[in-house]
Amino acid sequence: MTPRAERPRDADAPVREVSSWFLWLGALAVVTAGLLAVRPHLDKAHVALAYLLLVLGAGARSGRRLGIAVSVVSFFCFNFFFVPPHHTLVVAAPLDWLVLAAFLATGVIAAQLLARAQSEARAARERADEVDRLAALGAEALNAGRAEGALTRIAEVVRATLRVTRCEVFVRDGHDAVTLVAEAGPPPSEARTAAAGTTPDTQAPFALSMGGARLVEWVAVSGRSALERMDGGVRVGAATEYPNDPLDLDVTGAQTILIPLRVRDRTVGVLRIAHSKALTLDRPQSRFLAALAYYAALGVERLRLVAEAEHAHALREADELKNALLASVSHDLRTPLTTIKALAHDLRMDGHERAATIEEEADRLNRFVADLLDLSRLNGGAFTVTPELNAVEDLFGAALQRASGLLREHEVSVALDTAEPLLLGRFDFVHSLRVLVNLLENAAKYSPGGSVIELSVEREGDVLRIVVADRGFGVPAGEEDRIFEPFYRPSGRPDTSGAGLGLSIARRMAEAQGGTVTYEPREGGGSRFMLQLAAADVSTLDSPPSSTESL
Amino acid sequence: MPRSSTLLVIDDEPQIRRVVRHALEADHARVLEAASGREGLDLAAAERPALIVLDLGLPDMSGADVCRDIRGWSTVPIVVLSARHSDEEKAALLDLGADDYVTKPFSTLEFQARVRSHLRRALLPATSAGGEVRIHVGDVVIDLAKRSVTREGAFVHLTPIEWELLRVLATNAGRTMTHTQLFSRVWDRPHGDAQQNLRVHVASVRRKLERDPVRPSIIITEPGVGYRFESGR
Repeated sequence: MTPRAERPRDADAPVREVSSWFLWLGALAVVTAGLLAVRPHLDKAHVALAYLLLVLGAGARSGRRLGIAVSVVSFFCFNFFFVPPHHTLVVAAPLDWLVLAAFLATGVIAAQLLARAQSEARAARERADEVDRLAALGAEALNAGRAEGALTRIAEVVRATLRVTRCEVFVRDGHDAVTLVAEAGPPPSEARTAAAGTTPDTQAPFALSMGGARLVEWVAVSGRSALERMDGGVRVGAATEYPNDPLDLDVTGAQTILIPLRVRDRTVGVLRIAHSKALTLDRPQSRFLAALAYYAALGVERLRLVAEAEHAHALREADELKNALLASVSHDLRTPLTTIKALAHDLRMDGHERAATIEEEADRLNRFVADLLDLSRLNGGAFTVTPELNAVEDLFGAALQRASGLLREHEVSVALDTAEPLLLGRFDFVHSLRVLVNLLENAAKYSPGGSVIELSVEREGDVLRIVVADRGFGVPAGEEDRIFEPFYRPSGRPDTSGAGLGLSIARRMAEAQGGTVTYEPREGGGSRFMLQLAAADVSTLDSPPSSTESL
Repeated sequence: MPRSSTLLVIDDEPQIRRVVRHALEADHARVLEAASGREGLDLAAAERPALIVLDLGLPDMSGADVCRDIRGWSTVPIVVLSARHSDEEKAALLDLGADDYVTKPFSTLEFQARVRSHLRRALLPATSAGGEVRIHVGDVVIDLAKRSVTREGAFVHLTPIEWELLRVLATNAGRTMTHTQLFSRVWDRPHGDAQQNLRVHVASVRRKLERDPVRPSIIITEPGVGYRFESGR
């Protein structure tokens, strides 16, 4: 409701203007008559001052045009009645020309200056009003209990201020789909009949047609403004930088306007205004629309943040539940597994050879449960790492011992020179052991029985590189990174056992202590998995361990 | 001794008690069962079993409390059963005086072997620290009196720390010694600068004694808990 926006629409304005012209020209006549009555006693300066007062009054009250008109008419009256020879426009004394010219110039300039000062004052007042309204709206938007409420309020203000039929706010989700979250004004179908009543010639009512919905999506994705014209034509704005001017279009003849809502260079939604007739927006109106669009953008962003926070909260709760469930399941599963294993053992002792399979399967189930538990600990952040000084030999020994059951059909050759000084590292022994065991198991699983798995280590600067190399099937091309994803199974190999968690747990456990697990194809066929850990030195041993051996 | 053939199982799960009893009855005449910590302590005091199998997930008492109570008046070997306990918890129980732990689901053979080993050790006269006891393991002979070690008849030189480490492990053969226990017995203090070097000393002792230091058979690593001297079952 900007006053200035209101003025051209005011039906009384021309009447008021005509009456003020009559008023001021009448006043001029009265003043001239009054001055004429006492003309013999007057100096030219008195006349000039009296007329100037009139000019200033007219200019101040009714604007520049009347001010200038009054000064021109005054000029002629001055000349005609008060400059000798009287009752003629002839000027006898050349100096009087100077007086008359100075009077006219002063009047016109004064009227101009007054008008400009007044229009500036009015603009300032309007800006102040606008700022007040925006501030109030901003506070309201921030205080609204729900972000949707704030957006609805913004839509209502846009609709009332611009006097349009309908205003809608759309949110863009992560998949570039848009959803209507706030609206003001009658729904499209009602508006259609209303519009049909007032503008029967309009072929395209502003109802959100299929094309309209797609246009909203387009604006959301492209971040450019758009408008639909009365004649059904569509125009789009240039890809310019917000927030200089979100509405870089000539809106004349438009029926709907779509403005991208942007926050930090990201389009988060769309503001759409629609009218039953052609829209016109003057400069302050589009400025106001731009400011409100920014508020709407903030509201939409708030909506998104609230939704995200709620989602994260739900996820966290689900995660906690999952972890508690896994911990409890893993415990509860181990008791029956113990019984099953023991009974299978008894059966085997009694001569039932096939009972060995039951024992193996029980072990497999147990490993699977342990994997799930570890994965959930790694995901849940309840994973502690204690890096300590360790010898690589110790790690190898423990890994070979632990993996022995699964390496029965393979030969493991260890390349580690025990005549060389001990290779030391600073790592978490238990987690690194798990990584290495998983790599050995993986090698055994994906290479034919009887083949050799090579385990080696080398030190490069501050890094220990432990390599598990096999002559297995390798990794299918293009799946080199996917093998470290949980539940990955190589394509075209349905016969492998296990849940596909080993490598993902290995990588995550290595990374948890600052190490890495990487894969590369092995020359001549097979795979090479590399575990990198921090190397360490020890200088404070109370006696050198390697030099004192005697024969 | 008649009572040496009596064993006690403390576990609230009847299936586990049955499995354990079954595994042990092959070697021993009598296996007692207790379904709670309180009942277990009473039975232990009344029957003086030769070995106790203790489950950690008891409903009425923590395994640590049962362990501490028993250690107040008896040196009977205690083998702990655990389902989901962390390495730290296992180590803490060993520090409290438990002799060994077995993780569910365990293999019957492994379990039987551990129990036998603890019973055998418990029956040995408590003289391993003094006398002229010689410990034979594979081709290695450890002479505690002479403080000397030979491998295939050849003298092996150990540094004082290495000797002390080996002596503590060997005199507790079959028992998992936690890192804390080794620190306190070898370095005479539970924590110190040398703590970090324990694993390095173990690796270097292995190089001197083991046939293949990467596949050790004398000093076994119990990941996250400690080391065990394998006396050869």
